[in-house]
Amino acid sequence: MVRKLFLTLAAAASVLAISGAAWADITILVPSGSEGDGLRAAAADYAKMKGTKVETVQAPYANVFEQGANAGATKSGIFDIVLMDDPWIPFFAENGHLEDLTPFFKNAGLEGPDNDFLSKSLAICRNPYNSGPYVCLPYVGNAQMFFYDASKYKEAGVDAPKTWDDVLKASKTLTEGGGGRYFGYVFRGGQGNPVVADFMPIFWSYGADLFNADRTKVTIDTPEGAAAMKMFMALRDVSPKGVESYNANEVGTALAAGTSASSINWPNWVATFEDPSQSKMVGKISYGPIPAGTKPGSSEIGHWTMGIMSASKNKQEAFDFMLWATSPEQIKISAERGNPPVRASVFTDPELTKQEKFRHYPVLMEAIQASTPRPRHPKWPEIENAFGIELSKAVAGTITPEEALKNAQAAVEQITGLK
Amino acid sequence: MLKSANDGTLTAQSPPGGPLERWAERHLRYLMLAPTVLILLALTIFPSVYMFYAAVHKISPNPDLAWEFVGPGNFARLLSDAQFHVALRNTVVFTVVAVAVEFLLGLGLALLLDKFIRRLTFLKTVLMIPMMLPPIAVAITWKLIYEPQFGVLNEIMYRLGLPLQAWAGDVNLAMFSIIVADVWQWTPFIFLLMLAGLASLPVEPYEAAALDGASSWRQFWDLTLPFLKPVIAIALLLRVMDALRLFDLVFILTGGGPADRTKVLSLYIYQVAYRFADPGYAAAISLFVLFVTIILSTWFMKRMRLAD
Amino acid sequence: MTTRTLHRRSRTREVITRLAAYLAILVALILTLFPIYWIAANSFKFDIDIFAVPPEWLPRNPTLKHYDEAFIQRPFLRYALNSFLVAVGTTTVSVVFGTMAGYALARFNYPWQWRKQISFWILSTRMMPPIVSIIPLYLFFNYFDMLNTKSALVIAYTAFNLPFATWMMKSYFQDLPVELEEAAVVDGDTRWGAFLHVALPLARPGLAATAIFCLIISWNEFLLSLIITLTEQSQTLPIGIAGRVTQYNTYWGEISAAGFMACVPIVIFAFIVQKHLVRGLSLGAVKG
Repeated sequence: MVRKLFLTLAAAASVLAISGAAWADITILVPSGSEGDGLRAAAADYAKMKGTKVETVQAPYANVFEQGANAGATKSGIFDIVLMDDPWIPFFAENGHLEDLTPFFKNAGLEGPDNDFLSKSLAICRNPYNSGPYVCLPYVGNAQMFFYDASKYKEAGVDAPKTWDDVLKASKTLTEGGGGRYFGYVFRGGQGNPVVADFMPIFWSYGADLFNADRTKVTIDTPEGAAAMKMFMALRDVSPKGVESYNANEVGTALAAGTSASSINWPNWVATFEDPSQSKMVGKISYGPIPAGTKPGSSEIGHWTMGIMSASKNKQEAFDFMLWATSPEQIKISAERGNPPVRASVFTDPELTKQEKFRHYPVLMEAIQASTPRPRHPKWPEIENAFGIELSKAVAGTITPEEALKNAQAAVEQITGLK
Repeated sequence: MLKSANDGTLTAQSPPGGPLERWAERHLRYLMLAPTVLILLALTIFPSVYMFYAAVHKISPNPDLAWEFVGPGNFARLLSDAQFHVALRNTVVFTVVAVAVEFLLGLGLALLLDKFIRRLTFLKTVLMIPMMLPPIAVAITWKLIYEPQFGVLNEIMYRLGLPLQAWAGDVNLAMFSIIVADVWQWTPFIFLLMLAGLASLPVEPYEAAALDGASSWRQFWDLTLPFLKPVIAIALLLRVMDALRLFDLVFILTGGGPADRTKVLSLYIYQVAYRFADPGYAAAISLFVLFVTIILSTWFMKRMRLAD
Repeated sequence: MTTRTLHRRSRTREVITRLAAYLAILVALILTLFPIYWIAANSFKFDIDIFAVPPEWLPRNPTLKHYDEAFIQRPFLRYALNSFLVAVGTTTVSVVFGTMAGYALARFNYPWQWRKQISFWILSTRMMPPIVSIIPLYLFFNYFDMLNTKSALVIAYTAFNLPFATWMMKSYFQDLPVELEEAAVVDGDTRWGAFLHVALPLARPGLAATAIFCLIISWNEFLLSLIITLTEQSQTLPIGIAGRVTQYNTYWGEISAAGFMACVPIVIFAFIVQKHLVRGLSLGAVKG
């Protein structure tokens, strides 16, 4: 009997070895999550309409970059289109993974993307930033917003926070009165991308930046940087213990569960805050643009953009799809599916703005128009990592804020070779 | 242990069947080993060659640029790379502490169950469930448990009147939190191997020892431990090999933070290979890890006489 | 001091030891089961209740929402099927070939020091850090046009499980008395016949033990699957679960539902083979 089992299993193993992958006309790499789900749904519509077979490959958000980079580095043409987070664009573009879109626009009789797209949304799609050729088209328009519980803020004596000093003042009062279970402010302190993402807007609103305007110098350890750092540390002191491991999800949850009064976050959380099955704060969370420091506040832009892989064998088909998917009608459908638009006409479409769930659109459009991209550098992931380590150390208190700025300055100088 | 007495010299007098079967019978020792050796060769030769080749090159993520030969340059970088040193230290701390705790708990639990409730087989299986869960789901669950504001662990601390902690978000507790989650998932592995080892112990020496009036403590030291030595050795070897490649827990729980306190080698190799797009250097780090693992395990197997 | 008090005293001591042992086992059981209970409990809660303060020890407002999301709206059933096929395929290949190789290494002699060296080489293939072998494996499968196939996963996982299976079975056969096989050969059976008819049936418990470890490893594998699989045609459960950690949000409820259901098949299998499992390891145990 054992012998029979053994042989049957052996036979089963050989049968399993036969199966293959069937590729489609266009294959799109997307992250799993609302942005990927949206494009996936659009691809299905397109396939039905045009009779093209469109395959969407969904990878976990944390790994889309590797999938794309792997395909690019090995010139495997498995993906025709990648949906990219905007900070990846310089890496993909400058390593020859992305196709220049100029000839495709020309073929289609167009100068380039139309000017209904928000200018900041288009600027990130060119490489170099805002001046080079288009290498992708914007699809999901995100930029950070400032979320706060207006009634709590009012209790603390701040009506509508305009500056980081207002935020600090209200948060301090709220945290002091919270008895260790309620906090005025909460932020993403997780090492790496999270802590950098929540520090950058503060950094910018004090007039600091990673590089000087012509990119010849690293400018982290400057008086402006120190002022931003001082505010960041003050905010840390009024935030819950454990923010050192927080990411967007924990921060959003803290607001939805009503244990923290304010934070920076992505606009996707608006829907969550207003869903009674996920939020105790339905109708109570207000939002606004990023508060000002010594300079006007600026949020970090976080767009999802579509680019064509250089190794793709179906570039024209891919371009046709991208043009279709970013058309005003499709961007509107995408917005209805829960992804913020990239077009002024959709942001101001009364059919949408009169609905409760899109009431943040005017603020979001303003936030995008006042946003700043993460420094555009092909080595951005490495820079972000180094900066993230020093920020994490400062937040955790293992080094002083001054040391953090000094170390980060040195580390970024070394990575970029700017000295 | 029984040595194979026949050494394949034992052949049937007149094997039935045609010449092919006779040939197969004669070369059975190679034929039975061949599939495994061939499969492993096919699957490791290319990655190994690639790794050695990559380790001496600077590889651009741009496929149109040639690989630049840097000789031992990548290995020289290991000496001065502070992040590598941090990762190495964290990995050693994690591996030593986690495997030691898993071993002590697993062995202790196996001894208890073997001595006191031998019959309840289902209890043993219940105690093994943690290692059957997907590590990624385990990591996410522990993240919920450790959550400083909403997590159960802090709720228990609160009820007991103890100070609330940030656990995975606390500089000093982060590594501890990772170790606890790993111990939770992998103690059952040691436990199972120990239980199996205990079940195969011969009875006679214990009866003799009992007659001599040896305490159970003495019996444990003089009989149980020596008998279990081979099982313990292989269990530790397998656990150490897996602990060295810890990834999921750190990736989900802390991302290497806070303040680099939980950055382990796998995470660093991953970052270097993918985030910093430097597969050559990543290969060099991996080769270093492979080299150390092979040296340590050879030494360990020699000591434990496992090699044969 | 009379014998009786001595007896009584040692009896009390024994009772106390026993109680302490039971208590320790009980604590271990609670610590083991609590996180599993917590996954299960969270899978039945609405998102907002997962983050209730104080935590809801029992779902106050139970819902099947997350099971619907994971298994009806999202293709977790498909992922589970893929995981199942891949795990069964890998386990089969690894156990079949690992058993043969383990037997050969346990019973036969080879010229030079091959036996020792091949044994160690086989084990050492498992020491390679997987993160770097991902790139060459990716190139390898891309070259053979096998990306996004379940067979590629079976092949890749076999590379990890075969060494393990070989070592387990090798030590197992080494502990089986060789005389029975000798007797079979003397009676006119072939060497292969002796393996198939005599050694293999005796090795049944070892097979069960090896099989369950291979199943666990391949059912739960993450890193390789991440790179090799692309669509739901081949993506496995752990990838599906990781996909619910998105840029903006972590879907705790769905992850709990999927994670909880993911361990069910293995737990059932473990209960079915639990008898073999412990006996299997105990005879073969992993002795050298």
